[in-house]
Amino acid sequence: MPDLKLTGITKRFDKSVAVDDLSLSIEHGEFVCLLGPSGCGKTTTLRMIAGFETADTGTIELDGMDITRLPPQKRDIGLVFQSYALFPHKTAAENVGFGLKMRKLPRADIDSQVKKALDLVRLGQVAERYPRQMSGGQQQRVALARALAIRPRLLLMDEPLSNLDAKLRDDMREEIRRIQKEVGITAIFVTHDQAEALALADRIAVMSEGRLMQIADPTSIYEAPANATVDQFIGQVNALQGSIAKVDGPIAHVAITGGRYIWGLDRQIPVGTPVLAMVKHERVFLSRQRPAAGENIFPCQVVSRTYLGAWIVYHCNLGDQAMTAAVPNHPAFEQFQPGEAAFLHWASADCRIFRQ
Amino acid sequence: MKGMRITLSWIYLALIYLFILGPMFFVLAASFNTETSFPAAFEGVTLRWYARIWDHKEFLSSAWTSTLVALVSSALAVLAAFLAAYAISRGNKRENAWLSATLAAPLLVPQVVMSLGMLQLASVAGMGTGFWWLVAVHAVHNIPFALRLTMTGFARFDFALEDAATSLGAGRLTAWREVTIPVLQSSIVAGFTFCFIMSFVNLPVSLFLADTATTTLPVVMYSYIESRIDPMLAAVSAILFVLACAITLILDKIFRIRLVD
Repeated sequence: MPDLKLTGITKRFDKSVAVDDLSLSIEHGEFVCLLGPSGCGKTTTLRMIAGFETADTGTIELDGMDITRLPPQKRDIGLVFQSYALFPHKTAAENVGFGLKMRKLPRADIDSQVKKALDLVRLGQVAERYPRQMSGGQQQRVALARALAIRPRLLLMDEPLSNLDAKLRDDMREEIRRIQKEVGITAIFVTHDQAEALALADRIAVMSEGRLMQIADPTSIYEAPANATVDQFIGQVNALQGSIAKVDGPIAHVAITGGRYIWGLDRQIPVGTPVLAMVKHERVFLSRQRPAAGENIFPCQVVSRTYLGAWIVYHCNLGDQAMTAAVPNHPAFEQFQPGEAAFLHWASADCRIFRQ
Repeated sequence: MKGMRITLSWIYLALIYLFILGPMFFVLAASFNTETSFPAAFEGVTLRWYARIWDHKEFLSSAWTSTLVALVSSALAVLAAFLAAYAISRGNKRENAWLSATLAAPLLVPQVVMSLGMLQLASVAGMGTGFWWLVAVHAVHNIPFALRLTMTGFARFDFALEDAATSLGAGRLTAWREVTIPVLQSSIVAGFTFCFIMSFVNLPVSLFLADTATTTLPVVMYSYIESRIDPMLAAVSAILFVLACAITLILDKIFRIRLVD
């Protein structure tokens, strides 16, 4: 039985639809990332699960119980906020103990559980400090300990890492995953950062304009996106406009500008339909020699070169069609200068075709 | 060049203090002056004027009335301002502009006009203008000030704190008691103090609305100088000045508030 089940959730603010007919099931112990650009409805979804907003239609079930209209203080759901939201006038220990105090636990029990929670996030030594005396990373750990101390049925995190600097963010990411596994709690993590979602999640739910676009494991989301929106949002992608010219077994031929044809994986789209052919930047190869055999080989001109350290990104012109290739910065790969002629090529298996 | 600028800014600061505190110096000096007229040249030191206040029981009883009126009206003003500031800060933009404008309105009406209106209202409604009427008008008059100060607090308040408290099991009132009010404590105390002082020294409103049982200190002082001016009034002013300074300093120590932010 799923731990958390959203069925047909819709939420409107004035005239705009924030969340549109969203259905989602999350299994016990699963770590799910809600991923999408700002304004896609992911935070509103989180706030409805937490109980701060009420869904206009649809139901939310937790452990088989309908909680759609239950006030937030009765839900037993732990929350971690982007701003940490630690109570500034309380010490770390008092912050962590707040939920237990609300539950009217005896003093001794509160103390021992606070200690356990702070040990879990490896912060036993700062129990008596106030939030302003702690670093951002320590504050976020205390916030996590505070959310977990109530032994919640579900842990919700709203962009918890976006206020931390890059190095710390990576460490905290590992830490959150370790703690979530150790406690064995079901977790939902809202983020707009795809790298964060790919690294953390058991499954990623990609949202756009209030709708759920796809929910799947990170590999499937990246390598088998369900639609053009997901493909465009995750990773860097070339999108070529064209129309289906011919279907040949598993391969569809797409006519693009300049009388060129590119091959991609067929999706049973009828001939003549306008489509987008999409291939990720790092799946496009660039070479001086024309490859002896293969599909999708086009002469091109290198227009610009961007050095990114681990990668070198080349913007190329394929006739009047712009394409980008990301090449690993490694001696095994050729390097190019702007103005050089070269060949772009990619496998038809790496090229996905979606209706426009 | 830089030294010059620093010197000039010190002179500027000194002038500001001179104009603000200078008059108080003369009042303080006069309150200890043996000379019976006021203003007058300094003759010698005496505490006679302070002692004389005890002979004028109306000063003492009206000081008590002023204290009560100021306490109750400030509490009401701060309560109303807190609720309004909460709604404005948490609510949407449209309500926001409308509410702020309405609540700031008492600032725009001259106090004499407002007091006359309130007097009229009381007579039309067939009510006396006793203690509670005075308190109510003081409170209304003070709401804009209390609102400004509480709004400053809310501007820096992270509403996620309330959400955090709620998610941890606190009801709305508990969240307010445990989190919102303690976090905003300094702006609330600042608002209260400001209102208290504004109410305590208010003359126009009290002049119109106080009856014989609710005469406030400024009204008594005003009627006293209508007949004569002597240093006893300076002594009363000196006591008020010292009390105001003491309260401000103590509050600053305890709550780390600034009345002017």
